[in-house]
Amino acid sequence: MIELNDIRVTFNEGTILENQALRGVSLAVPEKQFVTVIGSNGAGKSTLLGAVSGETPMVGGQVLIDDIDVTHKSVHERAQYAARVFQDPLAGTCASLTIEENMALAYKRGSRRSWKMALSSQRRKLFQERISILGLGLEDRLSDNIGLLSGGQRQAVSLVMASLADSKLLLLDEHTAALDPRMAAFVLALTKKVVEEFDLTVMMVTHSMKDALAHGDRTVMLHQGEIVLDVQGQERKQMDVKQLLEMFSKVRGEELADDSLLLS
Amino acid sequence: MSFFAFLGTLEIGLVYGLVALGVYLTFRVLDFPDLTVDGSFPMGAAVAATAIVAGINPWIATLLAIFAGSLCGLVTAFLAIRCGILHLLASILTMIAAFSINIRIMGRPNLALLGEDTILTPFELLAMDIGIDSGIVRLGIVLLLVIFSGWFITRLLASDFGLGLRATGVNSRMVSAQGGNTALYTYFGLALSNGLVGFSGALFAQTNSFADVTSGVGTIVVGLAAVILGQTLIPGRKIWVAVVAVILGSVLYRLAVAFALSSGMFGMQASDLNLITALLVAAALIAPKMKTTIQRKKKQAIAAKKLA
Repeated sequence: MIELNDIRVTFNEGTILENQALRGVSLAVPEKQFVTVIGSNGAGKSTLLGAVSGETPMVGGQVLIDDIDVTHKSVHERAQYAARVFQDPLAGTCASLTIEENMALAYKRGSRRSWKMALSSQRRKLFQERISILGLGLEDRLSDNIGLLSGGQRQAVSLVMASLADSKLLLLDEHTAALDPRMAAFVLALTKKVVEEFDLTVMMVTHSMKDALAHGDRTVMLHQGEIVLDVQGQERKQMDVKQLLEMFSKVRGEELADDSLLLS
Repeated sequence: MSFFAFLGTLEIGLVYGLVALGVYLTFRVLDFPDLTVDGSFPMGAAVAATAIVAGINPWIATLLAIFAGSLCGLVTAFLAIRCGILHLLASILTMIAAFSINIRIMGRPNLALLGEDTILTPFELLAMDIGIDSGIVRLGIVLLLVIFSGWFITRLLASDFGLGLRATGVNSRMVSAQGGNTALYTYFGLALSNGLVGFSGALFAQTNSFADVTSGVGTIVVGLAAVILGQTLIPGRKIWVAVVAVILGSVLYRLAVAFALSSGMFGMQASDLNLITALLVAAALIAPKMKTTIQRKKKQAIAAKKLA
């Protein structure tokens, strides 16, 4: 489904601040697989997701989605292939537009936006149905500004939005990072539900090793711009955070020193 | 104020209502400060006047004027998006260039349309035949054209495409993530906005029977005054409310100014127009804030009394 071949990303090339964020990362994600991507700060997790979505300029490498070479396609051209949920609830929605208007925007992802009315009664009914699965009572508040919702509610709505238009791929960029533990658990449970219902291929970047192992079928660990660990199947099912860390030490010959990664 | 003057004020208020619509589209909807209107308004007037004097059908001349205005908008968008020039600066560049181009179009700094057939001429003749005051008929036609423009904008912004356009002005990153081409929306929005302003210029030339290259100076101020005044007096989230508000704002602005000048209060002269405009817009901006502050202070006083 996704094929990343030798992705290289360098920020501020040729200057003192040069930072090789990704040093030749290759990853193949088959259809319907749920990959979690972890790594300490600066490891390159969000950059990797950015390489798939098109937001990060690459200095080398190739990105294929569904066997289509999207390396030279812009963000909006690639949007038809993948739905995205951002880390910042404010970045993924339009605060001064209503919930249904945001949903209408997401509904048309991948299709041509033309003269048709954005909010017909038919569409409103669909949006109401889809948003009622959240159980937050938002189906009666569709014409409220989305800016009035809390961060967790917005992320939940963003997830519903991501499933409105047909796509086989879901990119999640630390989407629970800005939420309190209760809301984060709610959104993660919702994520699981949405992924199962729509049979999606998922790349989820997360800062929590616990969550990374608890969700999905495969975990990839990035460190200093390279993939250092890639576990799936039976081996992964039996792993816990401690074992993951031991594996890391073995591979890299160093201890992982990022507190937030270990403790969250 | 005489009835004739009143009609004239309404008419010019409506003509500039199209400018207000254009300014609303760029400043409020797209969040793109666009000063091009100081150039696209006289360009609309220049193109329409030149075409009419050359014998072209006035409706086609008006369409050409809209096209010319749109072109100005596209140039600004090109400078801002492709060339990476700050949007405000890009619009100023286009506005400045338009001044010289307008003189080239007309062949001279101003052009008179006396005795020429305009889009209003057939209606004026009809009015004279029936016996209605031609001023009222002219106002009616202008009103119809403005209502049609307002409807068109409302319908457009309510469509999927229009929603994408509106969202571009709120959060362009999200629009890209949802597959919307924000560059396309910006080009289109600027072209549409300045097309409306060009239309306004063409109407101005035909209702006032002249086109002048300096008639654009201060258009942006008038447009902003109308938008701010209108939206302060008629607040509302819906698109059609905003559209009606800005057009009414333009009319009210003209009425306020005409009243201030005609009443001779404080010995005001026509040259005081800019000062009056500034005071009016400042009042429209400050008044809502003062209202909230007064309300808040009242509530605090009541709460303090309860504690005592």
